[in-house]
Amino acid sequence: MIDVEQIRKSFNGTRALDGFTLHVGAGELFGLVGPNGAGKTTLMKTLSTLLPMDSGTARIGGLDVTVQAREVRRLIGYLPDQPGVYQDMTVREFLEFFADAFQVKGARHQAAVQRALERSGLADRSHDSVEQLSFGMKQRLVLAKTLLHEPKVLLLDEPATGLDPIARIELREQLKQLQEEGITILISSHILSDLEDICTQVALIGAGRNAADAEGQSVIPLHAAQTPVRIYEIELLGESAPAMNVLSSVAGARLLESGTGRLVVEITGADEQVAALLRALVAGGVNVVRFDRRALGLEERYRLAFERRGP
Amino acid sequence: MNPMIRKELRQRMRERRGWLLPSIYLLVLGAVVTFAYFVTTVDRGRSGIQGSTVGVVLFLTLAYAQLTLLLLLAPIFSAGAITIEKEQRTLAGLLTSLLTSAQIWWGKFVASLLFVLLLLVTSLPVLSMAFAFGGIGPWEIFSATLTTIIILGCMSAVGLYCSSVFQRSVHATAVSYATVVAISVVTAIVFFVRLQIYESAHHPATQGWYDIPLNIRAPMYVNPFFFLTASFAPPKQLYPAWITCACVFLGLGALAVALTLRNLRRRGDL
Repeated sequence: MIDVEQIRKSFNGTRALDGFTLHVGAGELFGLVGPNGAGKTTLMKTLSTLLPMDSGTARIGGLDVTVQAREVRRLIGYLPDQPGVYQDMTVREFLEFFADAFQVKGARHQAAVQRALERSGLADRSHDSVEQLSFGMKQRLVLAKTLLHEPKVLLLDEPATGLDPIARIELREQLKQLQEEGITILISSHILSDLEDICTQVALIGAGRNAADAEGQSVIPLHAAQTPVRIYEIELLGESAPAMNVLSSVAGARLLESGTGRLVVEITGADEQVAALLRALVAGGVNVVRFDRRALGLEERYRLAFERRGP
Repeated sequence: MNPMIRKELRQRMRERRGWLLPSIYLLVLGAVVTFAYFVTTVDRGRSGIQGSTVGVVLFLTLAYAQLTLLLLLAPIFSAGAITIEKEQRTLAGLLTSLLTSAQIWWGKFVASLLFVLLLLVTSLPVLSMAFAFGGIGPWEIFSATLTTIIILGCMSAVGLYCSSVFQRSVHATAVSYATVVAISVVTAIVFFVRLQIYESAHHPATQGWYDIPLNIRAPMYVNPFFFLTASFAPPKQLYPAWITCACVFLGLGALAVALTLRNLRRRGDL
């Protein structure tokens, strides 16, 4: 549904996007994570037709975002990182204006506005001024606005920023529901636990390029079948130094972290490599207390991707 | 109807300045015309001044005072029109909707101009006072009003251009006012200084407007007060001064529109 190939964009000589590639399937709830300045917002603005790219291609629903911008806008709903509202309008007027702006006409117009009011939970406040709403309510209103024309794709740039925990939970539930309705969602966020909860996959972006985690993956499947994990946590009796010596002699094993009586090791290769490491440790006289495969959370993968190697 | 126009008018009429500015405008205009009336008629008994003379004086005072006030007010309505969308971060929402850049511009322009025209209409009762004295006809009123509308349309377009360039309303408004001062005051100063130099060096006495070389009178064709003055000529004498001014102002407005639309094209720095 969203196909980005080798996209590049520079601002005054600084590369914001430097050959980033992304493929999001129809109906996916796809996360995009990376440090500040990684290019997430630039990518979102490019996909939402606000920003022309220097090179590369970006297509949404098969439509080129540069050449067929108007058709793309009909297809997408875009929520910027700091969405604004017209404070001096009532909630209903705000929605009616954007329904007009998205050319929702006739009987569909009032139905769309009513549905947006219900979806945002603001039906009983439709005649209140937007100014009177809380931050979370305004965020819900803006999200409801982006859904007025029934887009097939949602581009959400940090939608949970500034929301309180309850509002974040509500947002997550709403996004899951939208995904169930068949809407493809690309969401960027720094709140990794939220993405881990709702996303099917998460792409890593750093310095405008596809970044990779400790396992070399730039797209992390989250709600797919069990994925092979090659990170092992080893607890030892005594000092770690002998174990580290053994580790350096085992092919495919790499030390990620070490502490007193504890090692975190990355193992590249098949299960035989894991068995070989354990055999070598025991043969080397290391007292292994625990040898566990660790399924990395998104937060740890993110940290390993961007803290250890840099963006 | 363009949804932008409806939105803009609704928002503008809800602002405090929606009623405050017309009130101040009418008060100032009324005071100026009243002052002009008393100055003109203070020794009426002795000199036997004609009612038509009073009418002409009141009309001219009203026309120039009105243009001055509207030139001062026009940037307030137009220069903040697009910057306010940037300041409240709503421009991205507009640009990712199905509204075209031209529709967004047109909505902003019509709303800005309509508000200024509203002021023009509210001054009709004051104008009727001048009309009642005689000395002026429908043609003078029509040509002066048309000229004022062309000038205000052009200045609104320039204000919108400034609004599309800058990120903050205060900067856009400041540059719009600088433009008003440049075309109203600087052009007149340049003209008179160059005329003085010309007359003292070569030709002591120029008999009429068209005796002045074109390169010296050229700045005045972009001066709104000269444009208004040219509109008081009889219909058959509108060419070339009024027509030239009209072309200059319409050209300037068209250029501002083209540049604004270019700036309003999809941009990332929102």
